[in-house]
Amino acid sequence: MSRRRELTPEALRQLTLDAEPWLSCDDCFRLLDEHVERLLAGAGSVSPAMGAHLAGCAACREEAESLLLLVAADRQLDPAESLRQLSGGR
Amino acid sequence: MTATSRDDALVVTHQQSADEPDDWIALLSAPGPGHEEALRRLHELLLRAARHRVTRMRYRLGDLDSARVEELIHQSADEAMVSLLGKLASFEGRSSFTTWAYKFAIVQAGVEVNRHIWRRRDIPLEGVPEPPTPAASPESIIEAADLSAAVTAAIRDVLTAHQRRVVTALVIDEVPVDVLAERLGTSRNSLYKTLHDARVRLRSELTAAGYSVQNQRGGGSQ
Repeated sequence: MSRRRELTPEALRQLTLDAEPWLSCDDCFRLLDEHVERLLAGAGSVSPAMGAHLAGCAACREEAESLLLLVAADRQLDPAESLRQLSGGR
Repeated sequence: MTATSRDDALVVTHQQSADEPDDWIALLSAPGPGHEEALRRLHELLLRAARHRVTRMRYRLGDLDSARVEELIHQSADEAMVSLLGKLASFEGRSSFTTWAYKFAIVQAGVEVNRHIWRRRDIPLEGVPEPPTPAASPESIIEAADLSAAVTAAIRDVLTAHQRRVVTALVIDEVPVDVLAERLGTSRNSLYKTLHDARVRLRSELTAAGYSVQNQRGGGSQ
């Protein structure tokens, strides 16, 4: 017997998300450290595709948030603004 | 201590801790003076990052005892160490070595925690989501229910069977992508590509049907 799966508003938003331009999870991992350091330095995203990917991939976004918070703690920086910019403001 | 990397016209200054070696790569690459100490210090960094990630995910582990949590942290750091040492040559100095190293443990710890949480859980891979029951009012709720019904129909009608299974598992059942990749014998990359292509199809279908999804952007869960 298959169970009922209801489409929540968040699921609806995720299903119809515009996650262009394309970036793979492997490339996201490759760029992640540089992206986080640039944001903490106030230098902006490493690329528009990185923001799009982090908006569309929950796993990579969680990793990016976690890395950003750890590096910010090491450097005694306030992470709030960088967290907001993590996925290009999306 | 600082180091710099150039990306086109923009220069970003890395911050290294005062006692961080300048020559991590040389020290880690081959046996010699300082090699063992560099390995020890690298493992400490990875433990720190793994602990940070597991702590952030701790609430998902329920009442798992602290000894088992500690085991997950050490297991993550050990796996990350192997992975990182195999990729030393790919370090380009575009961030500090510490930040580059941290990401290996952050990723691995997330994989280990999700693997633990889902180890005895089934992942149903059939069925199509259903829209919520339409409300009588107000108008915005009716419009949302209308869009939900359209998305549900599009999932059923325009996605391939594989896209439907992946989208349902990742977005509706919220199965972690690495757990799903393990169960299906594929990779995170491949599943994200499937999700991406499915989104493009859904958006195209909905736009053709007159729904406004052009600016549907966001940064929440998958």
